[in-house]
Amino acid sequence: MLILRDLEVQSGKNMLDIQTLRGVAEEMNIPESDVAGFVGFYTMFNTKPRAKFLIRVCKSGPCHVMGSTTIFDAIQKHLGIGIGEGTKDGMFFLEKCECLGVCSVAPAMMINYDIHGNLTPKRIVSILNSYKKKKPSLMEDCGKEVEGKTCVINEPRQTKRLLENIGVVDPLRIDSYIGKGGYESLKKSLAMDPSKIIDTVKDSGLRGRGGAGFPAGMKWSFVGKGPVQKYVICNADEGEPGTFKDRILMEENPHLLIEGMAICGFAIDASLGYIYVRGEYRRSIERLQVAIDQARKKGILGKNILGSKFSFDVIIKEGGGAYVCGEETSLINSMEGKRGYPRFKPPFPGGAGFNNLPSNVNNVETLMSVPLIIEKGAGWYKSVGQPNCSGTKLYCLSGKLNRTGMVELPMGATLKEIINVYGKGLPKGRKFKFAQVGGSAGGILGKDLMDLPLDIDQPMKQGVTLGSGVVLVCDEGTCSVDFLLQILSFFEHESCGQCVPCRVGTAHLHHLARKFASRTAVPGDIDLMVEKATVMKKASLCALGQSPIMPITTMLKYFRKEFLQHCDPKHKCPQCDRSLSRYYAGGGH
Amino acid sequence: MESIQLTINGKQLAGHRGQTILEVAGENNIDIPHLCYHPRISKTGACRICLVRVNGTMLKTACTEPVIADMDVVTEDAEISQIRTGLLEMLLSEGCHNCLYCEWNGECELQRLCQKYDVQEPSGVFKNRERTVDTESSNGLRRNENRCILCGRCVKACGEIQMQGVWNFTGRGSSTTLTSDMFAKLGDSSCVMCGTCVQLCPTGALSFQTVLGRGQAWDLKKETSVCIYCGVGCQIDFYTNKEGQLVKAIGNENGPNEGHLCVKGRFGFDFVQSDKRLTKPLIKKNGKFEEASWDEALDLVSSKLTEIKSKSGPDSIMAFSSAKCTNEENYLMQKFMRAVIGTNNVDHCARL
Repeated sequence: MLILRDLEVQSGKNMLDIQTLRGVAEEMNIPESDVAGFVGFYTMFNTKPRAKFLIRVCKSGPCHVMGSTTIFDAIQKHLGIGIGEGTKDGMFFLEKCECLGVCSVAPAMMINYDIHGNLTPKRIVSILNSYKKKKPSLMEDCGKEVEGKTCVINEPRQTKRLLENIGVVDPLRIDSYIGKGGYESLKKSLAMDPSKIIDTVKDSGLRGRGGAGFPAGMKWSFVGKGPVQKYVICNADEGEPGTFKDRILMEENPHLLIEGMAICGFAIDASLGYIYVRGEYRRSIERLQVAIDQARKKGILGKNILGSKFSFDVIIKEGGGAYVCGEETSLINSMEGKRGYPRFKPPFPGGAGFNNLPSNVNNVETLMSVPLIIEKGAGWYKSVGQPNCSGTKLYCLSGKLNRTGMVELPMGATLKEIINVYGKGLPKGRKFKFAQVGGSAGGILGKDLMDLPLDIDQPMKQGVTLGSGVVLVCDEGTCSVDFLLQILSFFEHESCGQCVPCRVGTAHLHHLARKFASRTAVPGDIDLMVEKATVMKKASLCALGQSPIMPITTMLKYFRKEFLQHCDPKHKCPQCDRSLSRYYAGGGH
Repeated sequence: MESIQLTINGKQLAGHRGQTILEVAGENNIDIPHLCYHPRISKTGACRICLVRVNGTMLKTACTEPVIADMDVVTEDAEISQIRTGLLEMLLSEGCHNCLYCEWNGECELQRLCQKYDVQEPSGVFKNRERTVDTESSNGLRRNENRCILCGRCVKACGEIQMQGVWNFTGRGSSTTLTSDMFAKLGDSSCVMCGTCVQLCPTGALSFQTVLGRGQAWDLKKETSVCIYCGVGCQIDFYTNKEGQLVKAIGNENGPNEGHLCVKGRFGFDFVQSDKRLTKPLIKKNGKFEEASWDEALDLVSSKLTEIKSKSGPDSIMAFSSAKCTNEENYLMQKFMRAVIGTNNVDHCARL
């Protein structure tokens, strides 16, 4: 991935031409079709020339709600280009993209690898102008507004555990982390029996924070035993629209992640850790690399860490723009340099994962919780949260709120509390219409579920999921059809295409949503949509294809009437009109 | 190997550890519909057609799910049928499956399943995406991706059996397509034309140039034979049409080749019915071949061989016989060389 990324930057046109790729295949001694398959899978690569600066404007849920269409308008006005078009001087090329992970400062865009948030038509012009003298590079040059610590909500009522050192520790200096008691848990762990560590994690009740909520300690205990290489893999492919928690954690406290991985490594007898970071997160990648280098110098990573008999090292792997790679087996395939297709299970990664060897895959937030549990004990960890979902959860607030960003609250905070206390309500006294919880693969919560505790289990009973902790709030001005269109176009774009129900089903659902948006649908299309999503739910290979049923049915539960209204060709809906004319113009979908 | 007892459709069956539900069912003549699974390649689990019910609740793909003791499997119920129908509808609407114009009509696995589950022509609500049609660039293979269901059998056939890696998927999601090499035309690619991908293709997406316009699948008669080219002795099923023309060669899975063929076995049968074959002996007179009688021809050969043998000795003569002859004919040839000519200079083209 890194080789290709370098070559793309070197091209000066953000492209990988066929000749270069043939060279890559020859040098690596792999079939040309493998390279073609790989490049074709990851959206960040293109074999056609683009431009010196590639502008990717996010159109996922949070950015869309906050006005992505106006950003496309502003770029069209300033540079005269639509989606899939470039300026004549070869400077800029415009693409739409899915979530960039800076949802609290939506709408956002990425120019090459620099992310800019809080966009307004006016700001766009000054940002674009500033690029006219720049040289393309892989070094991040993001706007200040997207920096990790500025995306944390400053509100004392939180239960700060993971956030305790955010903004306090200097992420670029290991001594600063050590000064705050860093790596003490690792020292403590190395003196413990590995099975005791697993027992402590089990006892703490820590459940996976990536979305599925699988008990972490149990997962660790499933990792194959015996004298073979084992791996700790950190899933930092945070792609769920509306999620930005892992980015903040990695940017602001990278050593905590390294510590968590090392403890996990010791517990499951893995001497190598990989962090799979999505390619969009340049700053996270850079800071993690600095942290890894510093830890190696201090003897915290490498052979016989901290003077013990245990050796452990961490390597970063980068993603290339594929939401599905957040699924652990897709992630492993991607790490192996393959197309990010999920694998069928069994075998599970614990038995045969990376390189077909035992691997344990955990989310960033999960792994970072481990040093805290080791330090303060399982009892302390369980002291907050719900009986079966202990600890704190990072909630990512975005959309129509007076205050957006990340908060850390005990598991099971309610929508009402999150919106009123931490989000400070909706701006300009506008009325709440619905909230999307759990991201695109999550569901819609209406006014009736304001008091539902948002932990891992209780939302499931209402047909929604907490997922990665997304809370995207929409006001009464949001059209439910238009919103669902964005979700379903997202799924079609991100489906890997391996299994039939998801590959065809996501395309069909998107098509049906477009029919409603363009007011050419018939009432029967509502049932057709549910029917398709049901087959997908039952038959899809991975969670991506199993998910669309959730936003569809929960949206219909509240707003079926709006969908029926959209069956009338005379019905007026400026929002749907705007989406159809902006997102589907130019190079098309 | 550890034996495992399980129930499929109420029948008590035995399998062994490491087998999948589909494999055990297959051994016991229980048909579980499938499209991406093929015994000659690794498991994919992508078409989802083989979903079966395990222990009364879960739906699992029979091709990937290992059997475990006391497993209770049901291969068909109302919900499973409904899912299969839904999946087949999706597949039909994704491509352009017009059996009338397809040379694999009658042999297509998708067609068979659509008939079984009574899945009709797509409604037209969903438009299919035009994909690559490349029927001319290659001398041996035809590619019409509009009939492709992206099952991945060809990708694995080329990568795992022939080890050539010509095929792979590119693009993603609903824009997934096949690519040969790096977006090359099939004829310009590194394809060695073993035809294994075509043999494994469950639809008419990949096909042979030779079959076109030479009869429908159900009109063809199959005869099993052994390849005449090299010493491996691959078994081949040759198909002839009503006019007696040889149409195609498909590797027989019971032979030592386990179904595999190379380009020669696959396509090298046109000589059989060639009008250029010799039917009478020819003797070159004054620089031109002229028809002759067998007596005349044999007399000439024997006199020339005797002449060479007496002038230059028996070891100046060598015989090289052909795999296109029978074993008996080959035996006679070496006997003739040893007993009559007096040399051990014999060789055979199958010793390649």
